Amino acid sequence: MKSLLKKRTRKIILNTIIAIVAFLVLAIELYPIVITVINGFRRDINILSGQPFQLKQLTLRSYELVLKNAGFRLGMQNSIIVGLLSTAISVLIGAMASYGIARFHFKGRNGLAYSFLVFRMLPQISLVISLYLMFSAVGLRDTISGITLAHTSFNVPYVIWLLLPFFTAVDKAYEEAAMVDGCTRQGVFFKIFLPIVAPGLVVAAVFAFLNSWNEFMYALILTGVKAKTAPIAINGLLGGETLTWGQACAAGTIMLVPVFIFTLGMQKFLIRGITTGGVKG
Amino acid sequence: MFSRKPATELPRAQGQAGKARGRAPFLFLAPAIIVVFAVLIFPIIFSLFVSTYNWPLSQGAGVRHFVGLGNYAALTQDPEFWNSLKLQLGFIFIAIPIELLFGFAAALLLNREFFGARVVRSLLLLPVFFLPILSGMTWRFMLQPRYGPLNALLLKLGAPEITWLGNPATAYAAIIVQDIWRMWPFMFMLLYAALTSIPQELMEAAEIDGAGFWLKLRSLTIPLLTPTILTAVLLRIIDALRVFSEVYVMTEGGPGSATMLFSLYTQRQAFGYQKVGMASAMAIFLLVISIVFALTLVRKNMSLDVLEEKAGA
Repeated sequence: MKSLLKKRTRKIILNTIIAIVAFLVLAIELYPIVITVINGFRRDINILSGQPFQLKQLTLRSYELVLKNAGFRLGMQNSIIVGLLSTAISVLIGAMASYGIARFHFKGRNGLAYSFLVFRMLPQISLVISLYLMFSAVGLRDTISGITLAHTSFNVPYVIWLLLPFFTAVDKAYEEAAMVDGCTRQGVFFKIFLPIVAPGLVVAAVFAFLNSWNEFMYALILTGVKAKTAPIAINGLLGGETLTWGQACAAGTIMLVPVFIFTLGMQKFLIRGITTGGVKG
Repeated sequence: MFSRKPATELPRAQGQAGKARGRAPFLFLAPAIIVVFAVLIFPIIFSLFVSTYNWPLSQGAGVRHFVGLGNYAALTQDPEFWNSLKLQLGFIFIAIPIELLFGFAAALLLNREFFGARVVRSLLLLPVFFLPILSGMTWRFMLQPRYGPLNALLLKLGAPEITWLGNPATAYAAIIVQDIWRMWPFMFMLLYAALTSIPQELMEAAEIDGAGFWLKLRSLTIPLLTPTILTAVLLRIIDALRVFSEVYVMTEGGPGSATMLFSLYTQRQAFGYQKVGMASAMAIFLLVISIVFALTLVRKNMSLDVLEEKAGA
């Protein structure tokens, strides 16, 4: 009895210590994020003069400035358009391909599926130089279509593999029944299959959008003035003579909002989202 | 090209759509194949082609001419190439083991219920999803002389200020610390998920047999987590091979070329020095390495068959 009590006290003490350490580590991990958000609500002058943070410094001035900044507004608009377009295209094309892989047994099926997976892991720098030359040759450089196409290139293979587990999990009986009733393959796919896997499509769309939203290198190299996306605009805020930290952080915080909403809202799917294809037995 | 074996065994459907069935997979896959060919396969082939040329970015930078493997040979003579390769490998070999260690320790420690455990576990993941460019920006801010929080702290403690990003050694350390900060929770996330899927009875049985913490760790936890650890490390290596934006925003490869990782140097070759042929040779070099790791990962534990077995079960 005594030893049991002792064991319980020990457990409580241990848990308390772990809780304290855990919250300390969490504080360190969140500090750089918190400081970004806070700096967005401060004036550049307060930041650059090294004044310690005080509540009375809080202001919306940097937001005002950055929302009036034509470069950032254009970047934001482009980011949203490119994100939505490349998501729509990738989810449609990716869902079709994923269905093709999940439901048909054709020659070269494995090879094709695995090459999609490998394509998703290629370094962007290995592709961007020739994309630059190709886009320059056909007039796609610094256009919305060009950067959308570039984003589609990594999102299509991504969506295919993100959807595969959702697609293989659907019972074939639904489609078989529809086919017996004379429905075509295409009809089955669009009218029967897609509604069943709608949750998977939502997950794929969210992650594809975030991939595009966060993308930097393609935008840096393949766009210029007209089609630049928000990350490039933020980088621009840090490139001038004076570093406008307040505005850059305000802009960064705006970009962060959808990311964190989705991250915290889709915890269940996060692991699947970032390890796509990583199905372990 | 495609076998006409029907996907389903329904006799009626087979009779009606037998012919169309042969083309069906292709119809579904064609758009994806076209996109992949246009923006992935063709650029790779084109890169290979360009890498055999002296290919100036603009007219003023020289004349385009065939050099065979000359660019690859020139790379081996380029000290900056070796420097970027060394920095890249150092980045991977320092950051990833530390991330694994932190992630593993955190997974073990947080695999219990205490006040606020849930909150800690979910908020810990935020850095992983923090935009890389914002990570680069924030770390650049924190390490600024005069007004950066880290130097403010040093001054308060009476220590001299350090120009972290102005000094080659500290700048290199800083980009690595930045990566560790952002990505060890990724390791935690994967390892924690794997840890919670270990059947509790196994652990209890070991405890009844008198196994202590270390014995359980060595003979149960680590062996059971090994596949996940391998996957996580491979994913991180593939990711770390292409690191660019956070370092670009943080240091642009500087000071000098102290943080000029492989992708940054490739970009500099193409768009700074205008040597597109050389840059393409570097691009192909990195591509080959990445494909080796990607294939290892795919072969190791990404399998269509497993997916289907799971679906069937």
